[in-house]
Amino acid sequence: MKYVIIGNGIAGIQAAESIRQIDSRGGITIIGDETFTPYCRPMISLVLEGAIPTEKLAIRGADFYEKLNIEPVLGKRVTHIDVDARQVIIDDTPKGGKKNHFSYDKLLIATGADARPIKAEGLSLGNIFYMRGQAHVCDMLESLSGGKKALVLGGGLVGFKAAYGLMKRGFEVTMLIKSGYPLSMQIDEAGGKLVLKELVRHGLKVMVGAEVKAFEGNGRVREAYLSDGSVLQCDIVIIGKGVLPSLSFVPRDQVRVDLGIVVDQHLETSSSGIFAAGDVAEYVDIARKTPWVNAIWPEAVNQGRLAGMNMAGRKVAYKGSLSRNVIRIFDVDVMTCGVVEPPDDPGYQVISKIDPHKNFYRKLVFRNDVLVGLVMVNDIDQGGLLVSLIQSETPIKISGETMLKPNFNYKQLLKF
Amino acid sequence: MKKVVVHPERCVGCMQCMVACATAHSRSGNLFSAICEVPLPKPRVHVGVGLYGEGFPNRCRHCDPAPCMLACLPGAIYRNAEFETVMIDSDKCINCASCAMACPFGVIRYHEDMHAPPKQVVAVKCDNCIDRQAKGLVPACVEACKSSALTFETTSDALKRKTNEVARSVSIETGKIVVAPGFNLLNAAKKAQINLKAM
Repeated sequence: MKYVIIGNGIAGIQAAESIRQIDSRGGITIIGDETFTPYCRPMISLVLEGAIPTEKLAIRGADFYEKLNIEPVLGKRVTHIDVDARQVIIDDTPKGGKKNHFSYDKLLIATGADARPIKAEGLSLGNIFYMRGQAHVCDMLESLSGGKKALVLGGGLVGFKAAYGLMKRGFEVTMLIKSGYPLSMQIDEAGGKLVLKELVRHGLKVMVGAEVKAFEGNGRVREAYLSDGSVLQCDIVIIGKGVLPSLSFVPRDQVRVDLGIVVDQHLETSSSGIFAAGDVAEYVDIARKTPWVNAIWPEAVNQGRLAGMNMAGRKVAYKGSLSRNVIRIFDVDVMTCGVVEPPDDPGYQVISKIDPHKNFYRKLVFRNDVLVGLVMVNDIDQGGLLVSLIQSETPIKISGETMLKPNFNYKQLLKF
Repeated sequence: MKKVVVHPERCVGCMQCMVACATAHSRSGNLFSAICEVPLPKPRVHVGVGLYGEGFPNRCRHCDPAPCMLACLPGAIYRNAEFETVMIDSDKCINCASCAMACPFGVIRYHEDMHAPPKQVVAVKCDNCIDRQAKGLVPACVEACKSSALTFETTSDALKRKTNEVARSVSIETGKIVVAPGFNLLNAAKKAQINLKAM
C-alpha cells in the first residue's frame, strides 16, 4: 500500500502516526511546504511574546520521518492531483532529474489553510507580516528591535494573539476591528466586552470600523492611511484577517469542494481513496448541525488521527467537528464552544450569569434539552466537562442554574 | 496492574484523600511542615459536592486514548507505560488550558507546583502516586480513605466483585423475607474458631 500525505502540519503528522500503528510496511510519503521539524502552530504567538524560544515549538523529534520510515518531500507545494492516474504532481518542470510525481493508493489532503490576504496599497513594504507559520514569526522577531508602535489588523484569534504578544514586548498596539469587540467569531458581546476591558486596561488602543487603504514608508512601513481619513504611525503591521483553506490544486470537478473539501464520516472525499483532514476539510458541525470548516488545532489532531486509521483500513467514524477555543489574556481566562449567539428561535434557551467585579461570566446555550454552546470568562477549570456535554449531545436533566455556578462539577451529573 | 477504583456510593465527603494527596506531593511529605511550604502543596484529587451535598472523589481516569494528551499543544502530556499513567511534564507545559477544554471530567488544575519551574503556573493532575508505587506503597488517597470509597486493586478483581454484587442483588434468595430468623449466641468470629477446631 502506498500512502501519500500532502501537508506536514498536525493533521498530516497524526495521520502518518496512526497509519504506522496499523500498517508497518506500507510506503508513506509526506509532501509539505514547511521545512521545519513538525511544530506546534498555535504556539507561534508565544514566540512573538517572548514566552518561549523557537526551539520549544517542535512537538516531534528531528528524526520523526526517519523513525517512522516516512519519505519526506519538504519545501514543496503540490500543483495538482491526477485523480485518474492516482498521482500527485509537485512541479511541472522537473530540474536535475528530481522526482516530481508520486503515485498513491490512498491520498490524504491535509494542506491546512493560508492567511486571508488583504487589499491595500504598499503591502510590499518591510515589516508588514501575516502571522501563520514559524517562518513568519522568525521574520517578525528580526524586525522588532527599535520599534515602538504596532498596528494589528483584525480582532480574531490571530490578531488578538499578535496584539497580546506585542504588548508584552512593550509595543504600543493599535488594533483595527470591524465589530465592537475582539473575537467576535468566538465570543458573544458581553464576554467580548470583558476581554476588551482587560486589554484596554493594559494599554491596547482599539479602533472600530476603520480599514487600511494604504501603507507608506521608506522601505519599511512608517504610516498607515485609514478609510476614515486618519493616519497612524506604525513600525510593524500584523495582518490577522482569518484563514482560507489551501485547496487551489484540488480538481473541483472530481473532488467535491464547498468552502473546504467536503468529507464523509470516514474523512473520505467524494473521490474514493482520497481523504482530507484538518483546516482544509469540511464536515458537519455538531453544535450547528450544518457543514462547517472548523480550522482549529484539536480538530486537526482528531481528523488526522481518524483519517490515518481509515486510510490504513480500520473503519472509524468521525462524529463531527466542534468550534472551541480557550485563551488566557493577562488575568482573564476565556473559553468558548459551539453556538454562542443563537438564532432567534424558540427552540434555543440562553441562561447566563455575570459578575463584573470578579470578571466572572458564564453563558450556556441550550437547544431543547441539549447544551450546544458556552462562553466562560474565568473559572474555566470545569470547561472540558461542559464541552464534552456539547460533544456528546447528552440531554441535560439538571437545572441550568447549577451549571452556571463556578463550583459546578462532575458529581452533579451523576445519578446515585 | 493495580489501579485506584472509585466507589462513589461509599464516599462520605471527608476530604481526607485531598489532604493526603497534597501532603504526598509536598517537599517534606509531612502534613505539619507541608502547610508552610511555598508553593503550598495542593491536592490532585478533588472531592466535588453533588446536588444533594454528597461527596465524590473526582480524580484523573488516565484515559486511553487520553483527550488531554491529544489536545496538549506543546506535547507536555505523555503516558507512563509501566504504571499506565497519564503524566504532565511541567517543564514543557505552557499553561494554555487546552487540556482544561479537553478533559471530560474536569480534573486538571492550574497552579504553581514544586515539580515545576519556580513562579510558573502549570497544569497539575493526578500522577497515580507513581513515586510511592515504586517504593511499594499504595497511592496516598487510597491509604487515607476510611470508607473504602477509594480502593487499589486490579480491574479484573474489581469487576468480578461488582459482578457478584449485581448477581446477588437479583437472586431470588436475597429477596426472600425470613419470618423468624432466631438469634445466634456466637458471633461470626467465634463460629469461625469453632469451625477451625472441628477441622
